[in-house]
Amino acid sequence: MAATATAPGAPTSRLGKAATEFDDRLIVAGPVRRTLNKVFPDHWSFLLGEIALYCFILLLLSGTYLTFFFDATMTEVVYDGEYDPLRGTDMSAAYASALDLSFDVRGGLFMRQMHHWAALLFVAAIVVHLLRIFFTGAFRRPRESNWLIGVVMLVLSLLMGVTGYTLPDDLLSGTGLRIISAILLSIPVIGTWVHFAIFNGDFVGEEIIGRFYIAHVLIFPAILLALIAVHLLILVKQKHTQFPGPGRTEHNVVGNRLFPTFAGKATGLLLVVFGVCAALAGLVQINPVWLWGPYNPAQVSAASQPDWYILFLDGSTRIFPAWDINLPGDYTIPALFWPTVVVAGAMFTVLALYPMIERKLTGDTAAHHLLQRPRDVPVRTSLGVMALTFYLVLVISGSNDVIADKFTISLNAMTWFGRIGVIVFPAIAYMITYRICLGLQQHDREVLEHGIETGVIRRLPHGEFIEVHQPLGPVDEHGHGQLAYGGAPVPKRMNQVGGARRAIRGFFTPIEQPSAVELEQQGEGRGLAAGEAARELTSSGRPSDGGRPSDGGRPQDTRD
Amino acid sequence: MSTTNPHSDAPTDAAGRPADRARVRRRSKQRRRIANVAGLMASLVLTGSLYSVFAPAQAADDTTSESAAEAAGRELYERSCITCHGENLEGEANRGPSLIGVGEASVYFQVHTGRMPLVRQQEQAPDKPAVFSDEEIDQLMAYVQANGGGPTLPSGNLQDGDLAEGGELFRLNCASCHNFVGEGGALSSGKYAPSLEDATDLEIYTAMLTGPENMPVFGDNQLTPEEKRSIINYVQTVKFQADPGGAGVGRMGPVAEGLVIWVVGVTALMFGIFWMGSKA
Amino acid sequence: MNTHETRPGSAGGSDTPGPLHGGPDEDYTPEQLAAMSREELDILGARYDGVEILHVDPGPEPGSRLEKRAVRQVGWTFAGAGISALLFLVVYAGSGWFLPEWAWAEEGTTWSALFTPLLGLFMGLAFTLAGVGLVLYTKKLLPHETAVQDKHDGSHFDRVTTGATLVGGLHNSGLARRKLLTRSLGFMGAAFGLMLIAPLGGMIKNPNKGNPLGRTNWAEGVRLVRDDGSPIRPGDQQPGSLETVFPAVPGGNRQSDAATMLIRLRPEQVTSDRPREGQADFGYGDYVAYSKICTHAGCPVSLYEQETSRILCPCHQSQFDVTQGAKPVFGPATRSLPQLPITVDDEGYFVARSDYIEAVGPTYWNRERI
Repeated sequence: MAATATAPGAPTSRLGKAATEFDDRLIVAGPVRRTLNKVFPDHWSFLLGEIALYCFILLLLSGTYLTFFFDATMTEVVYDGEYDPLRGTDMSAAYASALDLSFDVRGGLFMRQMHHWAALLFVAAIVVHLLRIFFTGAFRRPRESNWLIGVVMLVLSLLMGVTGYTLPDDLLSGTGLRIISAILLSIPVIGTWVHFAIFNGDFVGEEIIGRFYIAHVLIFPAILLALIAVHLLILVKQKHTQFPGPGRTEHNVVGNRLFPTFAGKATGLLLVVFGVCAALAGLVQINPVWLWGPYNPAQVSAASQPDWYILFLDGSTRIFPAWDINLPGDYTIPALFWPTVVVAGAMFTVLALYPMIERKLTGDTAAHHLLQRPRDVPVRTSLGVMALTFYLVLVISGSNDVIADKFTISLNAMTWFGRIGVIVFPAIAYMITYRICLGLQQHDREVLEHGIETGVIRRLPHGEFIEVHQPLGPVDEHGHGQLAYGGAPVPKRMNQVGGARRAIRGFFTPIEQPSAVELEQQGEGRGLAAGEAARELTSSGRPSDGGRPSDGGRPQDTRD
Repeated sequence: MSTTNPHSDAPTDAAGRPADRARVRRRSKQRRRIANVAGLMASLVLTGSLYSVFAPAQAADDTTSESAAEAAGRELYERSCITCHGENLEGEANRGPSLIGVGEASVYFQVHTGRMPLVRQQEQAPDKPAVFSDEEIDQLMAYVQANGGGPTLPSGNLQDGDLAEGGELFRLNCASCHNFVGEGGALSSGKYAPSLEDATDLEIYTAMLTGPENMPVFGDNQLTPEEKRSIINYVQTVKFQADPGGAGVGRMGPVAEGLVIWVVGVTALMFGIFWMGSKA
Repeated sequence: MNTHETRPGSAGGSDTPGPLHGGPDEDYTPEQLAAMSREELDILGARYDGVEILHVDPGPEPGSRLEKRAVRQVGWTFAGAGISALLFLVVYAGSGWFLPEWAWAEEGTTWSALFTPLLGLFMGLAFTLAGVGLVLYTKKLLPHETAVQDKHDGSHFDRVTTGATLVGGLHNSGLARRKLLTRSLGFMGAAFGLMLIAPLGGMIKNPNKGNPLGRTNWAEGVRLVRDDGSPIRPGDQQPGSLETVFPAVPGGNRQSDAATMLIRLRPEQVTSDRPREGQADFGYGDYVAYSKICTHAGCPVSLYEQETSRILCPCHQSQFDVTQGAKPVFGPATRSLPQLPITVDDEGYFVARSDYIEAVGPTYWNRERI
């Protein structure tokens, strides 16, 4: 190794020498280069999981701050802090410390709210990420294991949310805890034993906040952290999936290298995620525990709800019919058991096993690295939309009292809406989605066969009017395109193939005239790479159709 | 009853301050509702003002058995209330309950919040701008009190109770229907506990005292007048208290927060990553 | 170099890399590498990682108008982020110093309601602008390259050789032949597993001992008291009212299962009252007392509609009819609210005649048995 120190090309700068010293000891140059050279696809949807990751980082940081002040005990204290309307009230030490955190710690309320908003965003980002993975088929072999880990992480994040929601021991979270207790009791045979093990006796006892606290700050985060590490390692090992497109195969990844392009964007996203959470934390109040009051088993408030990610379970519980099952020997399976333990268990089991189920049903056991467009897999897409509709009806039912109150609808009617809707709407959603998928598929094929509608109407010599179509590729003697569908988006408008000026430049504002940037780019002779091939093919219609984007007489003019 | 029994001028005193405050607060809501009841209002204001011109003359004729206020109240009653509540406050089957024993407190609450007179029969009388003027309400109260009897209006500052105790009592007795902060909530089959956002001290007090419609009654032996004042103090304090943590999003709790995170948080970040992924 | 061979503990092996070291260092001498430009080295390294740089769109020409504009844009964004961060500091540290006090007070200054929003605004702006600046930087000033990385399927060579090593080790251990060893190992593993989870047994408590779920603090002669401990006489409540009462025992108003609703029925309700079978005498006059704990999920019910006689639970909207023995008439609850038998003691205060005759609160597996 020492040989390199004298070798030609040895670093001469201080930094370079330091790096060499470093590598002498750790031999990391190889792995670091491999990491820096890793190629990431640049499609936006690949950033969804990262939002969740960055939320988790923010949760760890803000949560650690909160632990400096939070007292997770249920000792009865008399509040004597800044907040007048509760001064002199009996409450648990946990609730009192949550109040102190909000009113007596400088910036404490801000950090508390940031933690809570980040938690809501964390679960939301996981869900959106999961939907992307599902609808594009990214869970297929060889990525079933990562799908499974993802589902487990989703469940863990829900558990984190539930335990965290409970900690302040306010009237809202106490009501939630009461329902958790009832759910545990409802489990057949072992329910009461499980409840007594977790609560150390009957509801509510003295232990539960302390136990939930350690679960929330140590057990669940540790497992989650380990799973995130495994999730990412597997991702790196298996490399990213990608959408089909020119040059993209099952055996490569097209995109940007980690350094510097992707690293810059990812760090930027991290900062933006932190920024959104910080802005929400200051500008929008969340969980104002001082308004809820301390928990008291005899008190309750109208519109007591869990955080959004548990609303679906609250909804299923609200709409489930009153069906206790009485077994011989005076044993009972409570009605509460089905919409909570069974529904949640079934939903997450089906979710976790979906890759295996689909493999069984389709018999497709091959490895896939190219993603599918949702329209090309109508059954899966429709199943997904169906599940999503089911979920949404449950969420709406979970907030049915708020909806009933705000929109002056009968509460009982809302319950029946949920009961019927949860069966009817998913079926309707399936059928509609299936038709839409087929329709979109057909349109793709039609464009490939006949070309893009140009909007140019032509009168034939015998008087018939036809619309001129722009073929996308070589045509046979009947004028039909010979391109096959390859799973990639089919251009549907002239400006997507360079036959018209690109309508949108910039992100937010369409710029009609060539911008200074564009002119400069043209001056430098930079073409539009994507449109290059397609422009060659423009032949029918008017001569000017084949011109540069800046040419006049674009077909688009006549159409719009 | 620890409250005094004011006759014609005391209620105006007690009612004047909170009622004025309520009017100011209510302005924005009124604007929305005003269109709906504009026609009704116009005709009633007209009759009201016509009435006030003739009222003194009538009162002078009839001083033997009832006071001027009661006579004016009878006049109003016979015009606006008699079809549902009957000739002698005894009520009409399937139309309106008996008013015997409801007292002026109930009249104050029902008429001052605009619940009475009813526009049409429905699950629950909605609150709307009061149809009668404060003076007319006093007259109606005097009439019903004289002929039916019942709980009377309190006097003095209705917010002089203990704040924290009021909070405890509110959460134990009121929050189950009216929500933690008086947002209101849904009840069975289209009924609802109204929001306390526009409620004045006296309206809250009389509502507790008389239990309008589906609300349970909280008599003075159940919640003492001091306890009622504590509750009012808590409700009004929390209502006007600033939100230290930013926009309150209706102080609605998780449902509103969930909506915010999807509509604001997730949407903002989706735009962010579209932009990051875009070529331009 | 030679000194290494004689250091203590050294096997005296050669310090030069053996033939297995190999890799790119074999292919390229330091001299060859030194002769290559930085770009060439970059591409060479990438190629070793299976990455091909297909196309590089250079960033804006140095010194061009485009570059200057982008630099200005990015620079201002970063500067804005810095200013926001400083403003955050000013608000955070300055409140109570040269700015108004931040601490919240009932009659508070507007500043106490602005403190957290301002913190959020400035930190949010700082982070967001920093992020936006960074993304602008990569989008506008860095070259855009399109790279392709190869994906490799598993290597057959690796599989075969790894398999050989694994199977070899297993074969040498002889576990397949030495059945006794396998069995004792299995036995040991199982015992170890049990031993390791055994301490969790400390969490187990018998829920059937003493029937904690089926009993409350109510008992014969225990007075019904309000939250503040005051007893109740029949004359205290108006018809159509509800009072939450607790057993007059220490801590009775903190018990999770003892809260009870004492309801005085209106005369119309009394005439239509149909108590549950065998519980006709549980009420007292026009008073009835029902458990406040929902039989569905344990929330305190108590949204009492005195005209419709319904009690609504705010958690899952179960509705109970107090004139039908608090029978569930809508929603997911299956059982009536248990009724507390009440009477009046010598001093004229309400007392319980016994505990609830059934378990209050949510249903569980063996509820009917104990």
